[in-house]
Amino acid sequence: MNLSTFSRPALRPANCSAFRVPSALRQNATPFQKPRIHRAGARAADFSSTAQMMKRKDARNVVDPRITNIRYHLSHPLTPRPLRFSRTRALRHWTIHRAWLLFLRKRRRAQELDLERQYMSMRSACEALRLLDESGNTVSPAEAGGFGPDPGTLGMRGKEVGRLYRQTMSKKGLVGLGLEVGGGGKSWAGGVPIEYARLQTDFPSREGWNHGWTR
Amino acid sequence: MALRELPLRAASAFCRHSRPVLNAAAPSTSRCASTEALQDVQSSSSFEVPPPSEELVKGYDPIARSKRRRLGKKPLPQSRYQFRPPKYYRGPLHPHQPPPSSDPSSREYIPGPFSLPRLEQTYESTIASDLLTLTYHHLPPGYKTPEKLQRLREWTGDSPYFKNRPLRPPRGGSSLRLLDQKRDFRNIPEITKVTVHTMVPQAMENSANLHVAGMIVQAITNVRAVAHQARHNVVGWGLRKDKYVAVTADVEREDALHFVAKLVDVVLPKIKEWKGVSGSSGDSSGNITFGLTPDQLALFPEIEVNYDSYPPKMIPGCHITIHTSATNDRDARFLLQSVGIPFYGRLVD
Repeated sequence: MNLSTFSRPALRPANCSAFRVPSALRQNATPFQKPRIHRAGARAADFSSTAQMMKRKDARNVVDPRITNIRYHLSHPLTPRPLRFSRTRALRHWTIHRAWLLFLRKRRRAQELDLERQYMSMRSACEALRLLDESGNTVSPAEAGGFGPDPGTLGMRGKEVGRLYRQTMSKKGLVGLGLEVGGGGKSWAGGVPIEYARLQTDFPSREGWNHGWTR
Repeated sequence: MALRELPLRAASAFCRHSRPVLNAAAPSTSRCASTEALQDVQSSSSFEVPPPSEELVKGYDPIARSKRRRLGKKPLPQSRYQFRPPKYYRGPLHPHQPPPSSDPSSREYIPGPFSLPRLEQTYESTIASDLLTLTYHHLPPGYKTPEKLQRLREWTGDSPYFKNRPLRPPRGGSSLRLLDQKRDFRNIPEITKVTVHTMVPQAMENSANLHVAGMIVQAITNVRAVAHQARHNVVGWGLRKDKYVAVTADVEREDALHFVAKLVDVVLPKIKEWKGVSGSSGDSSGNITFGLTPDQLALFPEIEVNYDSYPPKMIPGCHITIHTSATNDRDARFLLQSVGIPFYGRLVD
């Protein structure tokens, strides 16, 4: 069995942590070989380039040319040559790389800030609902319930404080969490509607053509 | 569309902190095919930078500078010289420390990302904030979560053998489950890795099966496949130890997202009478596995376009594990559902 076909990286490295030397830096030691047609028969030379007939007497000894082709391309990856830069080009490369990392970091930070803003506003809204009275007044935290991980806990004033908060915190009827009303034993206990999962695209746009456009 | 709002928000966040990096600060709310041609790609150019001052121009004499350097006998390093970090890490006290993996000269450096997957854009603009909203649980300010008990208990008793004995194994099983953190804007679950695994026991007789499987796996994942040996003899399956029988590919970063998007948009809709992923799938730490049969695997566009170059009987089935950063199966399933993978049957957490 020729397992050396799996030893050399052709595309991306299989495991990033175990991968030390980039494939681009590795020399391709094997010289170029022509694809051979493996035959166990005694015939020494093949003169014609025509595909071998598979239905011969010794057909079981002939390897499928498709497999030969796959083996050839597994063992002869098109590894690019290593990057070698002169001083100036390496410096230029390095500068651009640093700028790119900076850009990525700023973008990530912006997204994180956006999520944080959303989280904090949800938190303040829930806290306002928790302290909300039946008549719309804000009560003191001592009178309100829901102090703890269980939002159903009642405070001194009982059910008349924080009704909306308790409704907000109950996850019943929420898609995807398997907590549908009476959905415990059913075959479809819950799920995100499949329409939600459509990946977003830039086009077609909402208005397909700008009809009011003039030069 | 929400996708279009994100650059806006990102741009405003840039402006708050520093000068804008991109010139995306002039957003166009309506995009039409006819208006597109009039807009410049970049509103400002590098030609607007003021020219160097006169002193700088006068003082610029490269020939004299190189002469001075040669007189001082301090030549620049050779232009061909390139730093290569040490091959092995010899510990934190060694004078030769490798550069960080983000440095292009590092041996662990992986270039990229070379593309912005559509799944990533959708996740960032919509899915992440929706997951955060739907799974939000309020804890009033001032509430302190009680401290956890010991996860691994000590041996308590009078026996002298309890001294220095290793802790007791976890309750109810041999493995310690992951800790669930409170859902936060920092730990929204996301797809971290995809593993594609194929086992071809026929490879013990004919290695062509393994080669075809490896070629197919690396064609659909864009990652070099790794062959694995059988670890044990299994008489019932005719499996012999140390024979190469399986092929895997670990797909990470943008490749993983491209792979999942391809799976959800192209392959899974073409499968006839596919019920979905079993609701009981998952390893209870946020990784969910499902399988594809050989004829389902042949629906991948990379296989479909040159289906004739593979021997049809040797096309294997495969297992696909989607690793997420969620710590339990429920959150992982919720994420995958919102990405577009359906589940059937009883959902087991």
